[in-house]
Amino acid sequence: MADIIVSIADLKLGNRADDTLITFALGSCIGISIYDPQAKVGGLLHYMLPDSTLDAQKAQGQPAMFADTGIPLLFKSCYRLGAEKKRLIVKVAGGASILDDAQFFRIGQKNITAMRKIFWKNNVMIEAEDTGLNHNRTMRLELATGKVTIKSSIGIIKEI
Amino acid sequence: MLEKIIQSVDSIPAFPLVVHKIMLLITREDYVVTDLVKLIEYDQSITANILKMSNSAYFGSRHKIKTIHDAVVYLGQQNLIHIVQTAGASRFYRKVSGGYVSHAHDLWKHSVAVAIMSQVLAQKVLQRVDPTLYAAALLHDIGKVFLGEYVRDSLPKIEELVEQNGYSFLEGEKEILGIDHAELGGMIALHWNFPEETREGIAYHHQPRSLGSKESLIPWLVYLSDQLCMMVGVDGGVDGLAYRGLEESLTRFNLRGKDLEKSIITFHDLLLEAEDVLNIV
Repeated sequence: MADIIVSIADLKLGNRADDTLITFALGSCIGISIYDPQAKVGGLLHYMLPDSTLDAQKAQGQPAMFADTGIPLLFKSCYRLGAEKKRLIVKVAGGASILDDAQFFRIGQKNITAMRKIFWKNNVMIEAEDTGLNHNRTMRLELATGKVTIKSSIGIIKEI
Repeated sequence: MLEKIIQSVDSIPAFPLVVHKIMLLITREDYVVTDLVKLIEYDQSITANILKMSNSAYFGSRHKIKTIHDAVVYLGQQNLIHIVQTAGASRFYRKVSGGYVSHAHDLWKHSVAVAIMSQVLAQKVLQRVDPTLYAAALLHDIGKVFLGEYVRDSLPKIEELVEQNGYSFLEGEKEILGIDHAELGGMIALHWNFPEETREGIAYHHQPRSLGSKESLIPWLVYLSDQLCMMVGVDGGVDGLAYRGLEESLTRFNLRGKDLEKSIITFHDLLLEAEDVLNIV
């Protein structure tokens, strides 16, 4: 049984039942896990920023850095491993903000909005989420079961 | 409890004197390389740490650095100042026990991250690196090292204030412990005889406005660097992002949201290059 670590601005996939995909330290960043229970294929993305037009060159080299380049890549990569869109279970976490998040500091909120827009356009439903607030999160996806757990920086662990 | 916390500052070991001496020598334009090498090598732990970090991509030397002499010759003055400060500070982060973080490495990583971010922002708004800012950013959370055990014991109370009563974590510390980690950090900086600007950068890193009419930019830049690191998830621990956002920190420097996002990208690349720096603790 192995933990496969997903770094910031990175995505990982898997179809080995004994592996777990895990990403640490989701602050304002967003973690998206997708899982096909029939094909037993899953993927986990940890993106940092909402919009790749900020730095097109960076987006080309590291598409997982941005919502609009990372999310499509996550889905397409899982299709290649045999997942099918209609069976995919999508769960999301992160997008935290600092307090009194004035309009200038709203990267967390922008990250959430960017994701919702992309899902809405592509008819993707979010099955469960743990977003917003002001704590960090660690997100795990067990590939055997599709179980997703979130651990908050204050130590609470919950399944979503 | 407050009295006990404040008294504990007196028993904190001195900041390595050799760092002060190196800073004095290095900023004299006519220093002799062998004098500086001798001075650095006098402190074995700083020497060892410098050698561990010198070939880090973050410092960008094109020459392989094997000795302190190489480091002095090839790193360049600014990098040398930063690396000496980093080597000197690291010893205080090895024994961080509970409270904010479960591993000492996490608080060190956050500290180095904020120091790196501070230079990204300094390049942007001051068009230069700034060693005083670097030192303040690196040590901004030094108060957490020593407040950790008290925070651990009072964590449920502080968290209740944050979750239920709309307190920031800092305000929660102050309410329950009578002192917050920034204030304590300021006292430690005083105990270490740090320059005024460095001390202010540490003491006011969550409340730069409280510095009043004084025009130091350092507390504002440390504040901003800290907030950005929290947002990227390189955080200081259980406190997460529970700190106040101050719009003034952006308007003051004419920064927009997009500028912050670009700084985050630059920072992310640099942090990956700084792995050797992160690994000394």
